[in-house]
Amino acid sequence: MNILDTIYAKAKENPQKVAFPEAANEKMMQAAYEAGRDGYIFPVLVGNAEELRALAAERGYDPAVFTFVDLGDEEYKTKIITAYVAREDTRLKEKALARRMQDPLYYAMAMQKVGEVAVTFAGIDNTTGDVLLAGQMMIGLKPDISTVSSIGLCDIPGFEGSEGSLLAIGDSAVCTNPNPEQLADIGISACETVESLLGWEPRCAFVCYSTLGSGQGELIDKVTEAVKIAQEKRPDLAIDGEFQFDAAISPAVAAKKVKRESKVAGRANVVIWPDLNVGNVAVKLIQQFGRADAYGPMLQGFNSVVCDCSRGAPVSEIKGNIIISAVRAAGMKK
Amino acid sequence: MDRQELEKKILELVAVSYKKDPDELSLETSFKKDLQGASVQMVALVAEIENETDACITLQDAAACETIADLVDVVEQEL
Repeated sequence: MNILDTIYAKAKENPQKVAFPEAANEKMMQAAYEAGRDGYIFPVLVGNAEELRALAAERGYDPAVFTFVDLGDEEYKTKIITAYVAREDTRLKEKALARRMQDPLYYAMAMQKVGEVAVTFAGIDNTTGDVLLAGQMMIGLKPDISTVSSIGLCDIPGFEGSEGSLLAIGDSAVCTNPNPEQLADIGISACETVESLLGWEPRCAFVCYSTLGSGQGELIDKVTEAVKIAQEKRPDLAIDGEFQFDAAISPAVAAKKVKRESKVAGRANVVIWPDLNVGNVAVKLIQQFGRADAYGPMLQGFNSVVCDCSRGAPVSEIKGNIIISAVRAAGMKK
Repeated sequence: MDRQELEKKILELVAVSYKKDPDELSLETSFKKDLQGASVQMVALVAEIENETDACITLQDAAACETIADLVDVVEQEL
């Protein structure tokens, strides 16, 4: 069973309600429909309900698979607004929220914040920036987390790591040049993401071109500082470094280079890059030379799961990302 | 709300969002150089401005402001 099959099986065991604020989009509606029809999620379409029902019928979809939420339903909107503003961890007040909720993306995220749905899935009509802003404003970042970031999950043929062929890597997509505090937060968020999605016990390595002082310079200082901050903030997590990449994932190399005890060295299942230059190049190398499948990016750092899908993604990929998001959301509820 | 009231209000909201003493801030305070905030603080500020002034400004417009005076200009245009 490959990793996607495992995640799909988890989704079916505990299907979550997923809101789709861009459901009029043909690819999005198809992905939502297929994921709902196959029992992975309960799709909730948010927008002009009449228009969405007509589109679903036109496209040959069984309307019983969907729940429709109409932006014009004042009674329901009032219920959401009341619940939202009553929470202590929200920013917008009634009037500003009502205005923002004219946009289906904000409406869906308000529903998510008050627990009407587990996830909002968007990004095909809205830009990544739109989704990140709405996520920060409506869902908010976790306490003590200073930045939004992402991880990818790589399935690398022939790689025999501590989780078989799988390795989680971050951040290869969002946070360009994190300072030490932000880098620490990327590692902490990554540990939480793999725990909620895969049930792994995270072993998180911060990598750069030095292993425990073998090299020196400001690029390394940032990473050692980040490790220290992350360990202080979350002593319960297995976070270690700084390591070179091989010392992080290869037991043989770790045995030679890491001369102190480490739960992580040689058997890391989460690798944190020092910046986006490294992260982006690294994921391309893994894909091109390692012939790996890379799933994601999965956004992290939010109070609950916020998703952004690629605008050019095919329906199969969108469906996969919807299901991954739903499993993460179910994992975060625990 | 006249310009002077708006300036006072925005200074208050910046102080709350960036957790600064209002006396440390002036219209010339630079977001980048003086406040060095993360994007999450700018999001908090935009939300506070929406709540308190009824101006709906975009994060991009707010993030492009060099100083607090620039932000007051952006909000004033929306009112």
